[in-house]
Amino acid sequence: MIRTIIVDDEPNAREDLEKKIKADPEFDVIGTSANAFEAIKDINNKHPDVVFLDIQMPRISGVEMLSMLDKDNMPRIVFVTAHGEYAIEAFKKNAIDFLLKPVKDDRLHITLARLKENHQPQPVVTEALSTELTFVPCYQGSRDYLINVKEIIHAYSNPMTGVHLVTGDSDQEFQTNLPLKVFDDNSQLKRCHRQHMINPDYIKFIEKLENGLGQISTYGNHTIPVSRNFMDNFPSIT
Amino acid sequence: MQNILFLEHMIPLLQHMLVFLGLAYLFTKTPVFTALVNNSLSLPDKAIIYLVFSGFCILGTSFSEPSIQTDDAIANTRAIGAVLGGLLGGPVVGFLVGITGGIHRVFSMSSISDPINYIDIACAAATTFEGLFAGCVHYYLSRKGKIKSLFSPRLVWLVAFIVGLGHVVIILLFGIYTGNGVEAWNLEKEIAVPMLIANSVGAALIMYMIREQKRACDELSSSTAAWRIADKTASIIYGQFNQESSRKIAKIIQHETRVGAVAITDKNRLLAFAGLGEDHHLPGSPISSTDTLKVIRENKVLFADGISKTYQCRLKKSCELGSALIIPLRDDANNEVVGTIKLYEPKNKLFRNINRKLGENLAHLLSGRILAGHYELQRELRIQDQYKILMAQINPHFLYNALTTIGHITGKQPDRARNLLHYLSDYFRKNLTISNDTVTLGYELEHVESYLEIEKARFEDRLHVQIDIPEHLLTQIVPVFTLQPIVENSIKHGTSELLGTGIINITCIEHNDSFTLTVEDNAGLYKNSNTSGIGLKIDERIKMRYGNNYGINIRCEPEQWTKVNIHLPKNKEQA
Repeated sequence: MIRTIIVDDEPNAREDLEKKIKADPEFDVIGTSANAFEAIKDINNKHPDVVFLDIQMPRISGVEMLSMLDKDNMPRIVFVTAHGEYAIEAFKKNAIDFLLKPVKDDRLHITLARLKENHQPQPVVTEALSTELTFVPCYQGSRDYLINVKEIIHAYSNPMTGVHLVTGDSDQEFQTNLPLKVFDDNSQLKRCHRQHMINPDYIKFIEKLENGLGQISTYGNHTIPVSRNFMDNFPSIT
Repeated sequence: MQNILFLEHMIPLLQHMLVFLGLAYLFTKTPVFTALVNNSLSLPDKAIIYLVFSGFCILGTSFSEPSIQTDDAIANTRAIGAVLGGLLGGPVVGFLVGITGGIHRVFSMSSISDPINYIDIACAAATTFEGLFAGCVHYYLSRKGKIKSLFSPRLVWLVAFIVGLGHVVIILLFGIYTGNGVEAWNLEKEIAVPMLIANSVGAALIMYMIREQKRACDELSSSTAAWRIADKTASIIYGQFNQESSRKIAKIIQHETRVGAVAITDKNRLLAFAGLGEDHHLPGSPISSTDTLKVIRENKVLFADGISKTYQCRLKKSCELGSALIIPLRDDANNEVVGTIKLYEPKNKLFRNINRKLGENLAHLLSGRILAGHYELQRELRIQDQYKILMAQINPHFLYNALTTIGHITGKQPDRARNLLHYLSDYFRKNLTISNDTVTLGYELEHVESYLEIEKARFEDRLHVQIDIPEHLLTQIVPVFTLQPIVENSIKHGTSELLGTGIINITCIEHNDSFTLTVEDNAGLYKNSNTSGIGLKIDERIKMRYGNNYGINIRCEPEQWTKVNIHLPKNKEQA
């Protein structure tokens, strides 16, 4: 069974595609999402083999969403699009899967057949498409937000609650479904600890502590630990 | 002795003359005046001239006091009425004025005790001669095309002097013929010189005053007529210089100037014709007059006054029109002739000077109008263009979304899909039937509703729309595609970008003579740069149509709401 997630903001389009994919017994639709926020969470939780990804979605497009996924756990992506996006078309038909809306049955069958042969992720394609993060989807309670990466001072992961973001804007704290790894790859945030990242723009000073540990003080008067392994990221203290 | 006698006659005569001047002045202030001076040979005008100047004759006789009665003859100013009547009214009127004055003279000076004698008859004959002679001068001058010189005081003086001499001769001849030669000579010796002076100077002075009054009156009426015409034609839609607008303008000009007929042509065809000869001067036909073609070619005013140069209609021999003023219409921007305006008078009527002036003013006015028309036309085209651009932008996107959505639900909910197809065809049927660029608000709303049905199917429970517009405002007129693109934008750039449920409220607030439509969404994602032009275009369209007091303003509370207010005037035009 090929475990599949469908991401599309139009309910009827989603259902229609779901029905068509389900008609193929080799595919198991394990989830559907209406936007990138939901999809990131879903993908991180369920680790699907294939994601049918709509490009035109609220706030975060399908292409933008690629840079918010962990490269090491990338599913195979099939783009579904209303408009022949040039970013997608730049790749030859064989290099990337994409379906034009409305999805025609015969065209879908070709794609499904190809996936049955091979549904390994296509790192080359996804890497080429992924870009520097500008906005980060996150939430506070039940409300969703998009935060500009530049406003993030500090990101940390808590084994129990996930990844937290502290922003310069009145010292707010948000949670996000993006793993820290994504910030490593696609943002200016620097890793200072296995569980902590810092925005270099906000560093006030760095102190050297005992045992080769360090401590960053920010302009917002936060203190953030620097572990031995990541000391090299901050050459100014050594 | 001679000097005293002279003064004795002269002073009362001068007094009469002044009274006449005063009376004549009063006449210039009454409607009768136009009849006196417009050179028209129509019967009512002639009758008025006859009555006024016969009255002068009678007064001239009656004023004479016994003190200046010499034997039976009186030094009098009767001749003034006869001369002026003849000059202004022509031979027939002159003769009638003269004979009326004469007959009155005969009967007013005779009685049973004083039967009619040779001098009474002589005076009557002389007065008749005076009127007839002056009338002949009128006839001669009008044949010569010098009707304007009738108003020259010098000519009047000369005519009055000549007929005065004639008067003396007639009385002497009558005297000799009836054997009273010596008596007649003695009489004339006394009164001839004062009468000659008083009558000739008096007639000249009165004519001088008439001429001045006429000039003032002409200028005034020419400018007021021009204003009236300007005012009346202003309301005619001057989008194009075409048959329709020309027809209206020609009618107004003809009505206001009361010339025989008015024609407007472009460079090749007759656009409009109003007045005498409408039956054979048919709009749309090619220009037949070589005069008109000459005007177009040479860009010069041409005047066929009907005397020295006659106008003859080439379409019909029996056409009544006999004189014409042809003025080129120029597009001031490049001084190019774009057509002509022609004023005609029938053969039995002389071309009034006032209308000549007026015609030239009108040509200026219309030339300006044409220029304004070009500008207006371009503006109109620009609005049309924008409308087409809007249409073009709306349709493909919407059609694509609609069909895709319907495609998605046909399998699942065939009835609903069929319904949506009906909404879709409804939407496009409305697009097809929009011929005007304005519709009623109700119509626009139905259009929006058809659109929304499709969008609601696309977004399902992610989109809620509430429309709350007072029933009585639904008849208001709005430019077509005012609301629909804004609602579409609220969805496209607003609620569709929301993760949660999008809510759109369409409301309307009524003011005294305007109303404001508001489209509010709960996304608050409006960015100035991301107007996508449509809001701006609609704003521009509204301002072009209704002025800068109306249009669109957009307010946004980021992440909370965006409000688009569309401010429009209440009904002034009909869809």
